[in-house]
Amino acid sequence: MIAGIDFRRLAFAGLLALLAGCTTTKMEDTTVDSQPPPTGGSTNEAAPGFANMQGGSEEDFILNVGRRTFFTKGSAELDSVARATLDQQVAWLQKYPSWLVKVQGFADDGGSESGQVALSQKRADAVMAYLASGGVAQSRMWAKGYGKDREVRDCPQKACQVQNRRVVTNLRSDRDQP
Amino acid sequence: MIKTRRELLAGGLATVAAAAAGAPAWAAKSTAKSGSSFFAGTAVDNGVTYRTTNFNKIDKKWHKQVVKFFSSEPQGTVVVDTIHHMLYLIMENKTAIRYGVGVGREGFKWYGYATIDRKALWPKWTPPPEMIKRHPELPPFINGGDPKNPLSARGMYLFREGTDIGYRLHGTLEPWSIGTDASSGCIRMFPEHVIDLYQRCPIGTYVQVLPHIADQAGKSRPVLDPTLE
Repeated sequence: MIAGIDFRRLAFAGLLALLAGCTTTKMEDTTVDSQPPPTGGSTNEAAPGFANMQGGSEEDFILNVGRRTFFTKGSAELDSVARATLDQQVAWLQKYPSWLVKVQGFADDGGSESGQVALSQKRADAVMAYLASGGVAQSRMWAKGYGKDREVRDCPQKACQVQNRRVVTNLRSDRDQP
Repeated sequence: MIKTRRELLAGGLATVAAAAAGAPAWAAKSTAKSGSSFFAGTAVDNGVTYRTTNFNKIDKKWHKQVVKFFSSEPQGTVVVDTIHHMLYLIMENKTAIRYGVGVGREGFKWYGYATIDRKALWPKWTPPPEMIKRHPELPPFINGGDPKNPLSARGMYLFREGTDIGYRLHGTLEPWSIGTDASSGCIRMFPEHVIDLYQRCPIGTYVQVLPHIADQAGKSRPVLDPTLE
């Protein structure tokens, strides 16, 4: 269908997607936002929830601000790119103060499982602290580290690891929401 | 087929070396538009004042939006569809953020898989030798942040196995060129969009570039070498 694409790599990428799916299904709740996956349709159609996007919605946050910040190996430090994203998150969260914030941290940095959980918690805490220092009320936020769980991509290569070393800032309506 | 470095060198890597360029702002056809309603005003990014895009003047299909995206590529991958002038950043649940792009001549010349191993804010631009031959009025380089620097706000540089393949994602000074094939440069985005994508793609992000098979007045199609991996 697409000329010139090496099918071995395509199959490998497909396997990665399958593994990513397997990794998420065994978790007690999902990282992903509340949009259901598109059940049908085709590429380039508006994604569910995004067709008539409202300001202040979760979709607005996803598209116009960005939920993810990324980290280098072994680090919980916020670099300038992360801080730029978080500054935008602060501004948006101040504009729409009824949202609660669930900060989820992840790791794919090698070493022990407990070490990765600790690192992921440290990352989530760093993001939450930055949002608080920007003026987002601490009472609106909580942070949790998931270690190596819920990998975005499961492979030993750097291209996968960099996607997994992340914090996701999730919007919630109440504290009991998963 | 993914071209090897040797093939690229043979095919004229020099033409994509250093930094790819958008059509220079001094090129005759674009000066008429430089004061047009394609610009909304100005903004400041990292200390640089730049002209912002008037998106009311831009066809909605080139606006940043979240779409369904069915592909075997995993989340976090950037997919560049040069023939349709779209760039997708894959997210969860078979969706992607889609951006419109302009494709310059260097953007037609390579396709395959790469990683973003270098990123730069307001990068300096060094026109490649072939471009200086075509436009002898060009200076040897233009500083980052200069209002004539065609890379604009960001550069994201594609590498294969540690080697810069000369393929870039960059901004533009010419918002009307998004959605078109441009005479020079690589993959150009609205400055607002390249700034946004920069935030979302950590170093090491995987990129899949899909081929451009359209002919450009006298240009021949890239030669596929089936003996290459």
